[in-house]
Amino acid sequence: MSKQKLIPIIKCTSRNRVIHLTVIAVGLMTLVPFVLNDYQISLGTEVMIFALYALGINVLLGYTGYVSLGHAMFLGIGGYGLAILSVLWGWPVWAAVPATFLIGAILGGVIGFACLRVGKIQFLVLTLAFSQMLSGAFTKLKATGGTDGMAGIPRPDLAWLGVDSWNNDIFYLYVLTFFLVVTFTLYRVLHSPFGSVLVGIRENERRMVALGYRTGRYKIGAFAISGFVATVAGLLLAQRTGFATPDYMSWSYSGEGILMVIIGGMQSFSGPILGAGFYVLAKAGLADITDEYIVVFGLLFMIVVAGFRTGLSGLIKVILTWRTRNERT
Amino acid sequence: MNALEIIDLNRSFGAISVIEGLTLSIKEGQRHAIIGPNGAGKTTLFNMLTGWLPPSSGSIMFGDKSIAGMTPSRITASGMARSFQINALFDGLTVRQNLRLSAQALHPSRLDVIASFNAYSDIEELVIFNAERMALTDYMDKPVQELSYGIRRQLEVALALTSEPKLLLLDEPAAGTSPSERLRLVNLITRLPKSTTILLVEHDMDLVFEISDRITVLTYGSVLADGSPDEIRRHKAVSDAYLGKNHA
Amino acid sequence: MDFFILNILNAMQLSMLIFILAIGLTLIFGLMDTLNLAHGGFYTIGAYAGSQLAINGSFWLAFLVSPLVAGIAGAILQRFALQPLASKGRSTHLDFALFTFGLLFVIMGGAEIIFGSAYLSIDAPAILKGGFAISGVTFPYYRVFVIFLGLTCGGVLWLLIDRTVLGAVVRAGVADRETVCTLGIDINRVFVVVFALGCAFAGLAGVVSAPIFGIYSHMGASILVVTLIVVVVGGLGSFKGSFWASIIVGTFETMAQAYAPDVQLYGLYILLALILAVKPEGLFAIQRRIA
Repeated sequence: MSKQKLIPIIKCTSRNRVIHLTVIAVGLMTLVPFVLNDYQISLGTEVMIFALYALGINVLLGYTGYVSLGHAMFLGIGGYGLAILSVLWGWPVWAAVPATFLIGAILGGVIGFACLRVGKIQFLVLTLAFSQMLSGAFTKLKATGGTDGMAGIPRPDLAWLGVDSWNNDIFYLYVLTFFLVVTFTLYRVLHSPFGSVLVGIRENERRMVALGYRTGRYKIGAFAISGFVATVAGLLLAQRTGFATPDYMSWSYSGEGILMVIIGGMQSFSGPILGAGFYVLAKAGLADITDEYIVVFGLLFMIVVAGFRTGLSGLIKVILTWRTRNERT
Repeated sequence: MNALEIIDLNRSFGAISVIEGLTLSIKEGQRHAIIGPNGAGKTTLFNMLTGWLPPSSGSIMFGDKSIAGMTPSRITASGMARSFQINALFDGLTVRQNLRLSAQALHPSRLDVIASFNAYSDIEELVIFNAERMALTDYMDKPVQELSYGIRRQLEVALALTSEPKLLLLDEPAAGTSPSERLRLVNLITRLPKSTTILLVEHDMDLVFEISDRITVLTYGSVLADGSPDEIRRHKAVSDAYLGKNHA
Repeated sequence: MDFFILNILNAMQLSMLIFILAIGLTLIFGLMDTLNLAHGGFYTIGAYAGSQLAINGSFWLAFLVSPLVAGIAGAILQRFALQPLASKGRSTHLDFALFTFGLLFVIMGGAEIIFGSAYLSIDAPAILKGGFAISGVTFPYYRVFVIFLGLTCGGVLWLLIDRTVLGAVVRAGVADRETVCTLGIDINRVFVVVFALGCAFAGLAGVVSAPIFGIYSHMGASILVVTLIVVVVGGLGSFKGSFWASIIVGTFETMAQAYAPDVQLYGLYILLALILAVKPEGLFAIQRRIA
């Protein structure tokens, strides 16, 4: 008698599909240090850092509907926060890091509060102004090294785990941990009732007010979350390079952040991650051919805005559903 | 106590006085219609009642609360809901998502950052109940921008209904609807519980006379006449205002 | 005292330069509700086009033709990109702002590719060379020219808006676009003309600023920040606002640089924040319908 294996029939719903893909993606990401070379691992770290940055921007752009042209200021806060607390004031790293995150969240909330009464265009200009202001202030401050910025950004002491965070592979896994924790938490928050309110504000803020929502509070919350996530990215960025400079707060980083989000697809959760990955990898790849990646990205940006709104994440969805459609026939 | 007490309400824009010395009582449970020629100030009145425009002077009592000058979200939280003359929907979202946002607005879950957005069964039930009430069940998961105008109008009213308000303000709900949609609207309004007071602005006279317990006529920003449908029908000044002084 | 007068003159010159840019942005926003973030890009086009024309011809050739180049480029953008997008019906104001934002990057990158990263310049014309002595320095006649140019642009624009049919259409369109369409006016053609005019002003500012500030690929972005601040402070869509805000910003920047250079890097932004805190819609905001 042959034993018949009962194969459970798993309905390949889109939700299951997403979970499968996520598991595979996380698995692949964890394997990176063991499989790729130093340069590629370093690139991977950069992708994750900018993915966080883009996710932070998208909390405002894709979910709440507000364009911030000054989000690079949080990159700067992340770097300078850690630098000032640990290098200038001698705080231990395990205290300076969470304190910096908190500062980023608070700054986000404050800016959100300041922008409550203004329209979306004024908001765009105001955020740009804030970031230029901060950038200018730090350029002037002698204590933080002026235009040269600060060096000696510390990494955490992981000796108790038996590893050295200055090792490329270990640093990658360190960043990966942050990336996974922040990304999954953000996913939860954006798919909660709170997140649905943000989407409502994006779609029709007036109606939300008429329905009884105190939209101001939600916007402040969105700003704080957005600032927090971008600050995490900024801190990791500073730890990666070892430097905190006013450059990180420049409008070009703000602009490139938006480019990443839009190209990836601003109305999906994974869009910013894909956009950041594409951006970092394409920039590194193009560097061999030409220095002029900006033109290419600008054109791609315009194409996405004009035609292919759903960006890279939409493209991938189309590819996946096309496969399912073919499987059925 | 009256559901709504408007006392000597005034609103002017510069030198132009849009609402002048308006005094009006809306009794609880009534279906009260406000009619009047264009420019009489009906929308301005609605905007003041719902907090979108502060009055220049005067008072508005919603139950025992003075609401003149309050923000719209606070007024809604006190139990007043409004539907808009021009659809104000969440166009990119589905009907279900629209209704859920309305159902969630005064529910404690709206501040939840951890649970899934559809985790609250009482909200989901409210969504389904209101969809059935407004005959929207077939369109639950369709994006609003794909729906016809009539369906969107139904959703517009549904959004106001979902919060089970004490006072429901309907701003020309029948505007642009077909006769069958109008009929559905009439049926819906007549079947609403008496615990919901209804204040209605409309131009469709058949609808007004069919469902109203009381009618107020507004001209040039103040009350011209106020009474039962029969009284208004026979009121000379009202027909003058609508038809002009030299009618048969 | 002389030093103060010198700074007032410098302030006026900077203000008028910014004003020419602000006019263009306000023209486009006021009528079409479009925030043209590529405005800095047309400024760049004007400057670079001017540099090539000046090398092969003269300053005046550049002065006359560069705005045309920028204007035509703007017309092409509006007619073949923005208008089709608008008629598709699903593009929001945010999309247009983002689209033009991408274009800004493309223009800046393109300038870098074509002309490299070196600074270019345009020589002031012979007739305007030299200046008069004040406070120990020479205030160039060229800068006086800029002041008069700005005021002239303002005057021409006022005449255009207030006294011509086109101006009446623009004013009507700002107030209520739909009604203008029902009057049988081809609003699309008007839009192309207005957009081109706005970009032409940007191009004019570009070529005129070149002898003073030089030409480089990123010039569009830096000037865009200042221009955005001006139109927001002045009130979106308001020409009166653009004028006074240009003067406020230009004066502030010049005085800060002269008397308190440490403040200059961030003072302007604090000023912006303060003004918006008191008047969130800007100083001379246009009242739109609440609807």
